[in-house]
Amino acid sequence: MKSLVITSTNIKRMLRDPSTIFFVFIFPMMLILVLGAAFGGGFTPKIGVIAEGGGDYAQSFVDEVAEDEDFETITYSAVDVLIKDVERGVLQMGVILPAAYDEMLRTGGTAAVEFVGRLDQSVVQYRASIEAVAANQSAVFRAARLVEAQGLADFGEAVTTARVVASGSTGTEVIVETTGESLFGEDLGQFDLGAPQQLILFVFLTSLAGSAALIQTRRLGVSRRMVSTPTSIGQILLGETGGRFAIAMIQGLFIMIGAAVAFEVRWGNLFGAAALLIMIALVGAGAGMLMGALFDNDEQAGSMGVFVGLGLAALGGCMVPMEIFPDTMVKIAHLTPHAWGLDGFSELIRQGGTFTSILPELAVLAGFAVALLSVGTWRLRAKLTH
Amino acid sequence: MRAAALIARKDLSQRIRDKSAILLGVVAPLGLALIFSGIIPDTSGSSFDVQVGVVNNDGGVVAAGFVNDVLPAVEADDILTVTSYADEDAALADVDSGTLSAVYIFAPGFSDSIQSGAGGSVRLVGNVDQSTSAQIAKAVLDGYLAEIDAVGIAVGSSAVSGATDLAAITALATQETAAVVLTDIAADNRELDATTFFSAGMAVFFLFFTVQFGVSSLLEERFHGTLPRLLGAPINRWSILGGKAITSFVLGLVSMVVLAVATTFMIGAEWGNPIGVAILMVCGVLSALGIMAVVAVVSKTAEQAANWQSIVAVALGLLGGTFFPLSQGPRLLALFSKLTPHAWFLQGLGDLSAGSDLTAIITPALALIAFFAVTVGAATIFGKEVLAP
Repeated sequence: MKSLVITSTNIKRMLRDPSTIFFVFIFPMMLILVLGAAFGGGFTPKIGVIAEGGGDYAQSFVDEVAEDEDFETITYSAVDVLIKDVERGVLQMGVILPAAYDEMLRTGGTAAVEFVGRLDQSVVQYRASIEAVAANQSAVFRAARLVEAQGLADFGEAVTTARVVASGSTGTEVIVETTGESLFGEDLGQFDLGAPQQLILFVFLTSLAGSAALIQTRRLGVSRRMVSTPTSIGQILLGETGGRFAIAMIQGLFIMIGAAVAFEVRWGNLFGAAALLIMIALVGAGAGMLMGALFDNDEQAGSMGVFVGLGLAALGGCMVPMEIFPDTMVKIAHLTPHAWGLDGFSELIRQGGTFTSILPELAVLAGFAVALLSVGTWRLRAKLTH
Repeated sequence: MRAAALIARKDLSQRIRDKSAILLGVVAPLGLALIFSGIIPDTSGSSFDVQVGVVNNDGGVVAAGFVNDVLPAVEADDILTVTSYADEDAALADVDSGTLSAVYIFAPGFSDSIQSGAGGSVRLVGNVDQSTSAQIAKAVLDGYLAEIDAVGIAVGSSAVSGATDLAAITALATQETAAVVLTDIAADNRELDATTFFSAGMAVFFLFFTVQFGVSSLLEERFHGTLPRLLGAPINRWSILGGKAITSFVLGLVSMVVLAVATTFMIGAEWGNPIGVAILMVCGVLSALGIMAVVAVVSKTAEQAANWQSIVAVALGLLGGTFFPLSQGPRLLALFSKLTPHAWFLQGLGDLSAGSDLTAIITPALALIAFFAVTVGAATIFGKEVLAP
């Protein structure tokens, strides 16, 4: 009963602080939103296009480039800005049509379209797509010139005819199919990859940074006063651990439910997801207790908590997906609880796993929790009784 | 001035003693940069290898033109690496396993069908995870087929327009030269490689935490009752502020320099022209100092200031693309990114990496100075109350 009071005091303390509200509830959701929006939809190369002349033929070239759904087309007006954006990686490539594009084609010349790309990049390869557009456009004007040369129609009419023929012709086509098993799962939602990463990152970060509260309690003499009351050390420790655990669970549940409601993230099997969250919260509580016992300065513990929290998260695959890690780093990643938690969620979300299929991950997390909680409470008990 | 220097000296020695400045200013950013450089495979600078297969069951001239002329040419340009397969199933199995990005499959009778004017189709089977590579493979084929179709379109258009001698027109059509061609403008590289990006990103991210020690200590002095004593002393008020600003500036600049040197030697980060980097660092530290000073003077207690400063530092850092290159994300996010000093600092470093031309950093440096000017102005307006006796 007394431990419950200590636990609920811990929760109240947390909820009263505006910056905690931001970091615990608002910031994780912001990150899921921003990262999902920026990178969740896969990578779409961007093309900057300049067609200053504004003629119909130039427009048709631009339209054909824009039609390609594999690229995002952005209109530019200044050549130097476009080139700079390619150089900065804002654009992957640029296409510049000469101002006299239409004129050149009408008078029988060759219109040279400029392709802007970086030699050090795979852009050389994207160039093939633009080359195909140029070839398609070229075919229409070649046909029109031939028709005009035979005196069958004027150039403008001939272009119109050639376009109709081109669009209706039983020409060649490429039938595209895909095969193989997708690394990230094929029906992965835009936010499905990021949400478990942020969940694990933030539950640990909050737990570690929360160790500062534990130290404040000691520094302000609250612990000493608690010990002097007829409350056993065991009850105090249970209460403090409960406080760390409860805060981790509140945050975890908020992110899980929030992401499911706001971003339609599917967490997979309910029991499996709940079991993972509980285990992660226990590991987090244990890590927080240990930090709280090891440090005596709450400011140091707070900054150390942020550093250790971010470092372990990066190492454990919560910032960059483990799928792209070099092999040895994947092994090192599995020294962190983060990697095991992510493995568990990916089994549930992508492979449709159940409670039983994530038992190995749960067991490893339970091991982390037992080890951290016992060392943490042991050290804290020593601090409180001396 | 002497008073300001004295205050700064006292604050700095205090910060070094309690180690939190070293932790946030050096250990944390360096540790994270090391971790990031370990987990991110460095792919910049190398064009990725696109492995494609080709199965030619056709035997006619159209397929042969692609397989024997076009593919060797693009292979020579390092666009694709081509492997020929006799067996369709073997090729498909390799695409399935990811050994091949894609395979072209020409069915029997393809060329005959095209030549008879009935059109035809080529199958392109790509691996599900290598859509970019498959897209490149498709573009190469598209370019060739557009050429094939060009003759058909020319002949068709002439027929529609009333021509009769189609054989002669076909001959003419094959001789026509291209009306639209592609020429190249080679662009430089102004992007930081992964290691430098994370080194610089972490450095500027934690800079905002490091500079807060100086500006926020004003609130601490008030809390501990030492501020009224300073105000009572025969020193200029601005000397007190100056001392705090010097503390922040020195802490920030020292941490940036240490990080630049350490990441250069430890993980091979390439920060670029030292003079340009120094200018960007000074401007970056000033902008961080200004922003943190505003947050400090509108706060009532040191604790409140620290809370809001971390919120501001983290939010700006994320938006500024220190963890993730948001400038390469959607356009709207890229624009928002420019509202942070972080984005300007990183852009300045990127522009600098293209060469040692110092004019490249004028705009980023001015943008950073603008952040400083605006925020310091705001801080002096709101800050009067803090210094009230």
